[in-house]
Amino acid sequence: MTAKKFKPGEMVDFVVVGSGAAGGVMARELSQAGFSVLVFEQGPRLGAADFEHDEFKYWFLSGITVSPKISPQTFRKTPDAVATQTPGNQPALYARLVGGSSNHYTANFWRFHEIDFNERSVLGGIPGTAFADWPISYQELEPYYTKVEWEVGVSGLAYASPFDPPRSKPYPMPPLPVKSSGVLLEKGARALGLHPFPAPMAIASEPFRGRPSCVHCGFCMGFGCEARAKSSSLYTMIPEAEATGLCEVRSGSYVYHVDTNPKGRTTGVHYFDAGKRSHFQPARAVVLSANGAETSRLLLNSTSNRFPHGLANSSGVVGKHLMFNQGAAVHAVFEHELNEYKSVQVTRILHDFYLSDPKRGFYGGGGIDARMNPQPAIWAMSEGGELPRWGAEYKARLEAFPRSMVSAGHSTSLPLESNSVSIDPSLKDAWGIPAIRVTYKDHPDDLAFARFLQDRSYEIMQAAGAQKIWRDEVAENTGGVHLLGTCRMGDDPKSSVVDKFHRTHDVPNLFICDGSSFVTSGRGQPTMTIQALAFRAADHIGRFAKANEI
Amino acid sequence: MSSSTEKDDMSRRSFLAAGTGLFTSIWVAAEWPGIAAAAHHADDAAASPTPVGFSYFSPADAADVEAIGAQIVPSGATPGAREAHAIYFLDRTFATYFAAGAPEYSKGLADFQSKFHAAYPQAASFAAADADTQIAFLKTVDHTPFFETTRMLTILGMFTSPKYSGNYQGAGWKLMGFVDQHAFTPPFGYYDREYTGFVPYSPEKAS
Repeated sequence: MTAKKFKPGEMVDFVVVGSGAAGGVMARELSQAGFSVLVFEQGPRLGAADFEHDEFKYWFLSGITVSPKISPQTFRKTPDAVATQTPGNQPALYARLVGGSSNHYTANFWRFHEIDFNERSVLGGIPGTAFADWPISYQELEPYYTKVEWEVGVSGLAYASPFDPPRSKPYPMPPLPVKSSGVLLEKGARALGLHPFPAPMAIASEPFRGRPSCVHCGFCMGFGCEARAKSSSLYTMIPEAEATGLCEVRSGSYVYHVDTNPKGRTTGVHYFDAGKRSHFQPARAVVLSANGAETSRLLLNSTSNRFPHGLANSSGVVGKHLMFNQGAAVHAVFEHELNEYKSVQVTRILHDFYLSDPKRGFYGGGGIDARMNPQPAIWAMSEGGELPRWGAEYKARLEAFPRSMVSAGHSTSLPLESNSVSIDPSLKDAWGIPAIRVTYKDHPDDLAFARFLQDRSYEIMQAAGAQKIWRDEVAENTGGVHLLGTCRMGDDPKSSVVDKFHRTHDVPNLFICDGSSFVTSGRGQPTMTIQALAFRAADHIGRFAKANEI
Repeated sequence: MSSSTEKDDMSRRSFLAAGTGLFTSIWVAAEWPGIAAAAHHADDAAASPTPVGFSYFSPADAADVEAIGAQIVPSGATPGAREAHAIYFLDRTFATYFAAGAPEYSKGLADFQSKFHAAYPQAASFAAADADTQIAFLKTVDHTPFFETTRMLTILGMFTSPKYSGNYQGAGWKLMGFVDQHAFTPPFGYYDREYTGFVPYSPEKAS
C-alpha cells in the first residue's frame, strides 16, 4: 500500500511531531491500530544511498545534525549567567532528518534495570536534586522492551550478564561478531573478576524483517547507515507506518506552535513548509516526540492567554531537569593490530558497577564498554597530557591507530531544576522562532562517579595488557546528545508534565513521549527505553482513543 | 612505544569523550578557531578535486605553511602532510567556506614570518630553513592561535576525505593504517582471530 497523502488542512486523528526513535514508533503503532496519522519532520527525507563515509561532513559541517547556521542555540552553566553561542557548538545536538537521531546513534541498546525506576525509594533522597521514582516499574515496561527487540531489531545474548533484569524472551538475533576491543575488554575484565558480556546493539547481525545484516563498514556513530542494518526508525518503524496507508510523513515541515482552544484542548499545530510558508494542520490529538530539547521549546513557545507560561506547563517544570548523562573514557594501545575502524562501535560491555554504592561517598551508577576509536581526523586531533602534538613522535602516535582502542564509561546524571532547556530571550532561528537556551552544570556526584568508572576502565586496560593508556578529561558537560528529563513523567501535576500514560496533565488530548519523559537518566544509553516507552504509550493512547477517552 | 603502562596523563583538552559527550566535546575545544562555525557555510559545492595552483595563498606563503605542516606530520617511511597535499585543504578552506577567517589567518602568518625573520635573519624564509631550525622555532610558537589553526587544518587536510582537496590519494589514511572500504568481514584484528566464543557465567541461566 502506498503512503497516505493528506489533503491540505484535512483533519487527522493524530499529529505526531518528530519522526525519530519515539515518533517512528508512535506513527507505526497508531496507524497500525487504525488511526490516521500525520508525522511532521523538520528535516529532509534521506535514504541509504544519501549517506556517506565523510568524516568532515558529518562531524564538522552538520551533515545530518541540527545546524547552528539555521537553528542556533545558546549555552550557560548557571541560571544567573548570560547564555552565549559558542562557535560550532550545539549544546542540544540531534539529527535533523526523517528518523531523527536514530539515524546517527551508536545503537547501544541497553535496557534499564529495575533499580532505574525506584532508585529514590531504595537510596533515599539526594538534597538539592529532584531525584524521584518513576510512576511505572520495570515490570510494566518489560513487555515493551521485548517489543523493541523483536520489532525494531536488537542483536544480543540474553542472560549473558548476571546483572541483567528479567526478560520474557531472548533476543531475536545473535550478538554481532566480537572485535579485538571486545576480546581485550573481556580478557582484562575477567582477570579482575568482572562480568563482561556481548553488547546488545540495534544493528542487524543477520537479515532481519527485510533488512540486510551489518556489513561492518565502521561508520555507525554520527553517521547514517548505508546498509540499512542499523535499526533506525527510517528503516524500521517509518516504512511500516506508511505501509498501513494511514500515515503520512511530511518532511521539511517544521512545527512551531501547538494550538489550543478556549476549552484548553489542542486543535492542531502550526508549521512551516519547506518554502517557509505557514500552515495550520488540524488534529483530534497531538503527540510530541520532537526530542527532549525541541519538545520543550515547542511547548514553551506555544503560549496563549490560557497558557501564558507555555503549554502543559502549569507545573513550571517544562524544560527543567535536563540530563545529558556523564561518562569518561581511557585510550589504550596494544602490541598487535585491532583495526577498530572496522565494524560496529561496541561489542562487549559490563554492568558490574550499575548500582550506586553509598560506601563510595557519592551517588552514581553506570556501565563500561569497549569501543572503536573515532574516525581518523578526530582521532588525530585527540590530545592528552604529554601526548606529542606534532613532529616525529606525534606521527608515531598516529601510526598506532590500528593498535588502539577506547574503553568508555557511561553513567548517571542527577535531575537538577537548574539544568534546563529554556527560550533564549533574544536569539531566533532562521524562521524567526525563539531559539533554544541550554543551562547545564553537572552535579558533583555525576563527575565523581564518572572518574570512578574511568579508573575501572583504566584497570581493565592494564589487566588486558595495554602498552600505553591515557585518559580523557572528566569534564563538565557543555552539551549532549542524550536529551532527557525535560517533561518528566509523574503522578503529581504540580511536579511533572505528563502522567504515567504520557498524557499531559494540563491538556487532555496532548501527549508527549520522547527522552523528555524520563524521570531519571539511566546509565547512559537511553534510546532503548525511549522506544519501549513509545510502544507502551502508543498502546495506551490507542486504547484511550478507541474508548473515546481523548 | 613504551612496553609498560606510561604515566597517567589527564588530557588538557578533550576532543574525545565517551558516549554522550563525544559529539559536543569535539565542537567546544578551546582552541578550535572558529573554523567549525564557518565550516557550516560549506556544502558539497565547496568540495572538488585537488585544484591546480593556489587560490588564497601566494606561492611564498604556501611554501611556509606547507613547511609548517611538514613538521607537524613529517615525511618519512610513511606519507607526511606534504605528500597528503594538506596545503591544498588549507588553501581551499580560506578561499571558500572560511574566507571570513582568512584576514586573521593572514595576519597570524605575517606575524609568524616576522618573528621567524627576527630570530633567524640569515634564513631567506621559514620554508628555506633547515629542519633543525624549523623545529627549534616551532617549539617557541606551538601554542599560538596561528599554529593551532594550522595544526587543525593540516590534520583535517591529511585525514578527511580526499574530496576536500587534501589527503591526496589517501596518503593520510595510508599513514594511519585506515582502510576506506565499504564492507569488512571478521576477523577484524589480531585479538579476535583466536577468540573461541563467549563463556557464560551461569550456564543454567545462559540461553
